[in-house]
Amino acid sequence: MLIHIDNSRNKDVIKLMTKIWVYVLALLAGVSLSIEGAIYGVLGESIGKLETSFYNFAVGSVIIGVILLFFGKGKLSYSKRAPKWQLSGGILGVIYLTLLVYGIPYLGVGLTMISVIAGQMAMSMVIEHNGWLGSAKIKVTKEKMMAVALMFAALLLVF
Amino acid sequence: MTIILLAGALICGILLSAQSSVNGAFSREAGTFESTFLTLLTGAMFLLIAVLFFGKGDIAGVLDAPKWQLSAVWFGVGFLFLTIFAVPKIGVIAASISTVVGQLGAGIVIDHFGFFGGAQITFDWQRGLAIVLMLIALRLIYVGNRKSQTAKDG
Repeated sequence: MLIHIDNSRNKDVIKLMTKIWVYVLALLAGVSLSIEGAIYGVLGESIGKLETSFYNFAVGSVIIGVILLFFGKGKLSYSKRAPKWQLSGGILGVIYLTLLVYGIPYLGVGLTMISVIAGQMAMSMVIEHNGWLGSAKIKVTKEKMMAVALMFAALLLVF
Repeated sequence: MTIILLAGALICGILLSAQSSVNGAFSREAGTFESTFLTLLTGAMFLLIAVLFFGKGDIAGVLDAPKWQLSAVWFGVGFLFLTIFAVPKIGVIAASISTVVGQLGAGIVIDHFGFFGGAQITFDWQRGLAIVLMLIALRLIYVGNRKSQTAKDG
């Protein structure tokens, strides 16, 4: 029994070691988000908040548009058949980025990210618990409730 | 003012979470790049209208802005690709927790040194404790997700 546990432990460790660089890349994805936010905060102060947000979406759609032309394997035409609520990602993204560009120069990147993450985690839980927006229904657990409480405690601490 | 902006940042998180569900549903049928493209394109349409009627800044200023400031868009694209790469290899939950840790760490470091010309906010014990609380919270989410996963499979 003991040997069995040790073995699976070792396997877990080996699995983690071989995948550690994937974790590092995922970490860098988060670093990218903070850098992006920090720079847009500064750009917003010089050319305007809405203008900065527009820049991101306009140039972003050009970049992804080019990638899509060459590497797109999916069906963009689905957007004609899709239920309308599935097309609301754009407006949600717009409000998100614009609020971020307003907030970062006053709150700093750290506090802004803590509140974004707290809001995100709390909302994800509500969405999953109720199975909204086409998500699989996942009940809220005690651990997750505690997690959100801790996040709000962290928020109050820095604020 | 600060409290309003803080509430705004919370709303950001709520919207982001809703957006990832919405885009998730769309991308299951249409594809990931297609979903991202549609989000950016419709976003640009809304913002063009908003800038034309409510813009107080100088849109032409984009042409004069330093290139490193314009490079922010590449960090957004980089985030997208790193996420697309990492999720199938380590799973959504592990990938998003790693992302959040990177986001928080980088946020605190950028603030402390005032990188990129933003406000400088020195690292203090409150910020240190906040990071510890966030890490505990992420661990709890991980455990909670494992539990609901086994409950679903069992």
